[in-house]
Amino acid sequence: MARPERERGVAQAWIELVGSDPEAWSALSVARARLPAARGLESLRRWRLVELGGSLPGAADLAACLHRSTQFYNPNKERCTVRNAPGDPAPVRAGEVALLVRERGGGRRRAAERWWAHETGEAVQVREAVAWALGFAAGVDGPAAAAELVALSDRRHGLLCNPFSQIPSLPGSGIPLPWITPGGEPGETWNAEEEEW
Amino acid sequence: MTAFPRVAVIQFPGVNCEAETLRALERVGLVAEVFRWTRPAGELRDFQAYVLPGGFSYQDRVRAGALAAKDPLVEVLHGELERGKPALGICNGAQVLVEAGLIPGGSGVELAVARNRMRGRTGYFSRWVYARVEPSPCVFTRELEPGTVLPLPVAHAEGRFVGSPGRVPALVRAGQTPLRYARHDGALATAFPEHPNGAEESVAAVCNPRGNVLAILPHPERAQDLGAVPRQMVGPWPEARSRAFDDGAGGAEAVDDAGPGLRLFEGLRRHLVEV
Repeated sequence: MARPERERGVAQAWIELVGSDPEAWSALSVARARLPAARGLESLRRWRLVELGGSLPGAADLAACLHRSTQFYNPNKERCTVRNAPGDPAPVRAGEVALLVRERGGGRRRAAERWWAHETGEAVQVREAVAWALGFAAGVDGPAAAAELVALSDRRHGLLCNPFSQIPSLPGSGIPLPWITPGGEPGETWNAEEEEW
Repeated sequence: MTAFPRVAVIQFPGVNCEAETLRALERVGLVAEVFRWTRPAGELRDFQAYVLPGGFSYQDRVRAGALAAKDPLVEVLHGELERGKPALGICNGAQVLVEAGLIPGGSGVELAVARNRMRGRTGYFSRWVYARVEPSPCVFTRELEPGTVLPLPVAHAEGRFVGSPGRVPALVRAGQTPLRYARHDGALATAFPEHPNGAEESVAAVCNPRGNVLAILPHPERAQDLGAVPRQMVGPWPEARSRAFDDGAGGAEAVDDAGPGLRLFEGLRRHLVEV
């Protein structure tokens, strides 16, 4: 079989449960019951967002690799949407507010990188974070409410990100690509040495 | 208020260390009962002390302890702790206290109990470690001489106390870190595996300024029996274990002799008797 054509770049795998996501349901339920900023929150969806950077194959081969590996997702219970160009649609719906939460200095998926190198002969960097989509009722200032909901500050404010161990990213418009990879977020300080742990 | 101190062992769904925690409290002479999340929160006020045991409250959804920290029980708990009642959060219980801003007890959330990360090692980790007692107003450790080394087990994936720059060192200076990971000789542990999770300043436990609330990552309730201390540990506790078992001096019943973890529960009992 001919070796697929490769190009340097970044791709995203948006991985979500096929059925209801208990984590998202619990977060929605608790937020609505306890947090003033969540009064207009109508829906909350969650993905494991995996970002691959390096010499990558085209979209179809990329999707096939992700599917047949056990390192990325379980196709029996999860589905994966691949995005490898800024114009590719993300599974976030129009009107929803997208949020990324990643661990400070963490998120590298070394085992997945080793699998990829073994399988394709290419070295890639694999990082994982959590993406959320927040849906608000009509008339609610979604981005403002989301900003209040995100960073934990006390029992009545914030839930989805503890700023002492995690970094939130609420893009103004569109879904960045890259979003996790260093350089994907203007102004962010990235501790490369720490990440190499 | 009853004449005899009663301790509530607060159980959120997913908490799974309530039975051994209850046993440890009863062994030191306290009256304790499991208080499940389904009970009216106001009934918590009838108790004189609280323990939040280990486990996986709400399946660790969002973050360990994040959802339980929003529970109405915790709101009532906050009011009672403000009145000076003692509370001990163990492992997941510690995560709840931190996510609720009850530890370190300033204003709001000031710390995270982040994912374990040591050089060359991440993820869940379970083993016995040594914890060194530090000078502190903590009611659970104040009867222990500073420098005392307790062998205790850890079992967690998120145990790394972190804060804004300088916050954790300030807690150490303020005496709000009553236990820090150490080597068997009492020297501070800085490397894996003696330091199991990468917590700043090797902190294993954090208390509030008043000392009545303690968040501890190691499991003292799993170290309540002398027979639980592993043979490969070093120091007075394993030596006592060895004398009791390996030398045949203690007999079979020595397995239930008081272990190092019970000292924290004894501290609670003494405090409750005093007040």
